[in-house]
Amino acid sequence: MKGMAGKNTLLAALAVAGAVLLACWKPYVLIEGVQRAGLYAAITLPMALLMGVLGIVNLAHGDFMMLGAYLAYGLSVYLGVDPLLSIFPAMAVFFLFAMIVYVGTFNHVLDAPELNQILLAFGLMIILTQGANLLWTSRFIKISLPYVSESVTMGSLTFGTYGFVYVAAALIILIGLRVFLKKTRMGQAALAVGQNRRGAKLVGINVDWTHLIIFSLSIAIIGAMGCVFITRHSISPLVGFPYTLRAFCLIAMAGIGNLTGIVWVSLLLGVAENMVLSFHGYAGWADLIYFILIIAVIMVKSRKRHRQ
Amino acid sequence: MRNWKALLSAILLGVVAGLPLYGGAYLLSVANLLLIHMTLALSWSLLLRSGQLSLGISGFFGLGVYVAALSLVRVGLHPLVGILLGGVMSGVLALGVGAAVLHLRGMYFAIVTLALAEAFRVIIRNVPNLSGGPEGMVLPALIFDGDSFKTFWFALAVAISTLALLMVVSRSKVHIALTAIRNDETVAQSSGVNVYQYLLWIFALTSAIQGVAGGLYAHIYGFISPEGSFSLDLVLLPIIMAVVGGATTTWGPVIGAVLLGSVSELLKIKIPHGHLLIYGVIIVIVVLFFPKGVIGTLQEKIRRRL
Repeated sequence: MKGMAGKNTLLAALAVAGAVLLACWKPYVLIEGVQRAGLYAAITLPMALLMGVLGIVNLAHGDFMMLGAYLAYGLSVYLGVDPLLSIFPAMAVFFLFAMIVYVGTFNHVLDAPELNQILLAFGLMIILTQGANLLWTSRFIKISLPYVSESVTMGSLTFGTYGFVYVAAALIILIGLRVFLKKTRMGQAALAVGQNRRGAKLVGINVDWTHLIIFSLSIAIIGAMGCVFITRHSISPLVGFPYTLRAFCLIAMAGIGNLTGIVWVSLLLGVAENMVLSFHGYAGWADLIYFILIIAVIMVKSRKRHRQ
Repeated sequence: MRNWKALLSAILLGVVAGLPLYGGAYLLSVANLLLIHMTLALSWSLLLRSGQLSLGISGFFGLGVYVAALSLVRVGLHPLVGILLGGVMSGVLALGVGAAVLHLRGMYFAIVTLALAEAFRVIIRNVPNLSGGPEGMVLPALIFDGDSFKTFWFALAVAISTLALLMVVSRSKVHIALTAIRNDETVAQSSGVNVYQYLLWIFALTSAIQGVAGGLYAHIYGFISPEGSFSLDLVLLPIIMAVVGGATTTWGPVIGAVLLGSVSELLKIKIPHGHLLIYGVIIVIVVLFFPKGVIGTLQEKIRRRL
């Protein structure tokens, strides 16, 4: 335990030193990297919740965010609602939508082989993206909002401040989920179900109900994230998929069930990607980083397992 | 009984092989694509016998496309050599990736393979001088100088070889080992099956087949692009063909391919933007209601009636 604490302190010290060095060398990489990390963490946290409790990889995760973004777009264009205010109706809509989806699909495969679960999730992902494609075409759309382009100047640096909305979202989701899991009955039940489904059933927890609520909660959060997402990004039906892959990569890195860890690994990925983006002519390679990370993480994990 | 079966297969083969004689150009092009999809479906289902779900068909296929096409355009190799090279490269790459990730299986494997196709797309977009970049490129010549008879027979030969391979595997020790791994890895391991080695080599073999199919595609259609060569169609259609027919049987993917290959062609014409949506719906329905494949489930029902 002591060695563990020492290791953590060392890691933290290294991270701070790295951040300071980076701030002197390429301040924009650090600032935009942190903003990007916020987005990744906010997207990954609900998926991690789902994976930790139900043990399912929701390959359609990013696509629910895409749907949320379209909802916010529709509310903004037709009713003039600010996308950030759409968060609340979106949560309600997606909670209900997720309940229907869960009862219709995942509910039936929880005890099936993992193959069936992955295949089902894959099918669902195709249905959402291609359904959106059919409804709204593959054209990119965007909302222009005045407050998005706000910036501040500090010394010789001028940078956009709105990107920190993602950091705020990530922190709200992280704190909210931690409080939910620690303090509420449902949260505690969810933790128990995640640890041992049969044991939870034996002590009288309504496992099916817990699954339903956690699934819907995860989708409600990611649907609401869609409303935040569209304030700063243009969207198309295929916009969610890369985020699903990155979210899986981050969960694998942090370890299933480690919510706080996700924030740290998101920082790593966000800053690393922005680092690559900052080199002129090599920016396109940034999309390869998470893939290399997945492979590296799996290699490390399997080696650890071998040692045991 | 045996003679009867042999005669029937011979007649069937004759009818199929004679397709260029009585089928038109359109029918032939549909048939070529169907055979390529069938090859992919068969190879995918072979890997599935070990319990590993690959979502990276289009990755290895696309690698085969690019290796075969570029070895003609940049090096000037004969198309057949290029196709073979595409298979070899896909197999070698699968060995490398498999060696890294096959220690952790299940969802880790599925998602790494899914991300693989994305990774290839990124790489190809970033080396435009070699690959033709996002716009892709047109090949200077088609295989067999565009002779539709030879092209079709070659595609048929590839599909039948893959089918033959599956039949051989089905009767061998390998099939028993793979099934054991799928059912319970721990038991398989303790019965002396080297799980990791088996998975690694079967992954490499099936990926090599997918690479060959890609090379074939490149030389039949004479056009390559990152979007077309790594398209979602190429992951979805083979998977559906296999799961509808019955994923771990030998003939399931063949039947599924014939059924869905023709339906997919119709769908593409009727709803050009929505056909993928229907594939997604089919996957979900099959997983939920026909886990043994549509044909397997029907057979079971009929047997129960009798």
